[in-house]
Amino acid sequence: MSPPDENSPSGTVPDVGWSALMVATQGGDRAAYHRLLTEITPYLRALARRSLRRPADAEDAVQDVLLTLHSIRQTYDPTRPFQPWLVAIARRRIVDRVRIQIRTTGRETTIEPFQETFAAPETNEMGMEADSITLRRAIAELPPGQRQAVELLKLKDMSLKEASAASGASVPALKVAMHRALKALKGALGPK
Amino acid sequence: MTETGHTRTEDLIAQLAADVRPVRPLRPPMLRALLWLVVAGLVIGTVVAAFGIRSDFMDEMGEAHYQLEWAGSLLTGILSAIAAFHVSLPDRSRAWALLPFPGLVLWLFSIGYGCLTDWVRHGAEGFALGVSFFCFRSILLISIPLSLVLLAMLRLAGPVRPVATIASGMLAAAALSACGVSMFHGDEATLMVLIWHGGAVALLVGLGTLLNRRLFGLFGPRPAGQAG
Repeated sequence: MSPPDENSPSGTVPDVGWSALMVATQGGDRAAYHRLLTEITPYLRALARRSLRRPADAEDAVQDVLLTLHSIRQTYDPTRPFQPWLVAIARRRIVDRVRIQIRTTGRETTIEPFQETFAAPETNEMGMEADSITLRRAIAELPPGQRQAVELLKLKDMSLKEASAASGASVPALKVAMHRALKALKGALGPK
Repeated sequence: MTETGHTRTEDLIAQLAADVRPVRPLRPPMLRALLWLVVAGLVIGTVVAAFGIRSDFMDEMGEAHYQLEWAGSLLTGILSAIAAFHVSLPDRSRAWALLPFPGLVLWLFSIGYGCLTDWVRHGAEGFALGVSFFCFRSILLISIPLSLVLLAMLRLAGPVRPVATIASGMLAAAALSACGVSMFHGDEATLMVLIWHGGAVALLVGLGTLLNRRLFGLFGPRPAGQAG
């Protein structure tokens, strides 16, 4: 991108070059400054993205450039072209951002989710979700009395008394159903 | 638009635009360098006047290697000051930082030539090492106010060209101080000049370069419209 042509009309504000906008900025013209910063931002973003792949890092660099430009705006010499001045500031801030990125990524290590915890296959946590599905299926296949006992006593975590009140079955009957259910589940899920 | 941190770029632009105040563009770097050289000349002149020019200074000035040595440090100081004020501006070439090299070469050449002359005149005794804290300390003490004035004048270089600016600036202050000190303190073998003058200059340039962030932090522009 290059500075806008001084003679090309655009919107309500007469289009002037970045140089002229910067000179107006040095005079304290807020509208000119707002326009200048808005116009140079896409240019700065393009410059930053050449060195910084992550859009968030590039945007941070753009903001750094804008802040630096603001704090040293009196170093711009109105008799000289604006772009080399801007690019020199931008390069410095982009290099700083690249250094920060290198430092940060140097300390970070990408880790894969643990697939195995120990060498023995049965200790591996892989397939925890699959186990849960299998368990639910096994519970669903239990006879209705046993299934109800498991649901009330284990899944809903009720006491024997509460489960008895909720189901209408006696406490001993629930105990027996639970015992049989566990045995059945062990049989269904245990080592084959 | 991408969001970064808590401030969006459009919000930052609005904040900066609202914060803008009229500023006067800096005067041309050559003019500012000249202004600092005048200040440095006044400070060094005052110190030299206070101590008084040593009696054998004019005699020594009749000798080629003393002339070259003095001219070398003076030239290094002047060229470094010009270099510092130019390199401090973002759009000026970094090659300005190389400007003091002719002065430095002349200075080192004259010191080398002086060492050779001492060897021819006095033999191994010409290389007797001694301790000259006075000139070392004098160079450091004169350099401090000169460096502070220079740092205040170059404070806007902090965000963009801190190292090149401060290295050139410290070299300017130290070289001119060494030039001044040799006017009121002498009677040393050239090797001593190399060690104590050169050591003071190297120490100042090294410290300035190492502590550039802190030094510019003392005078540097406050980040306006801070993203927060």
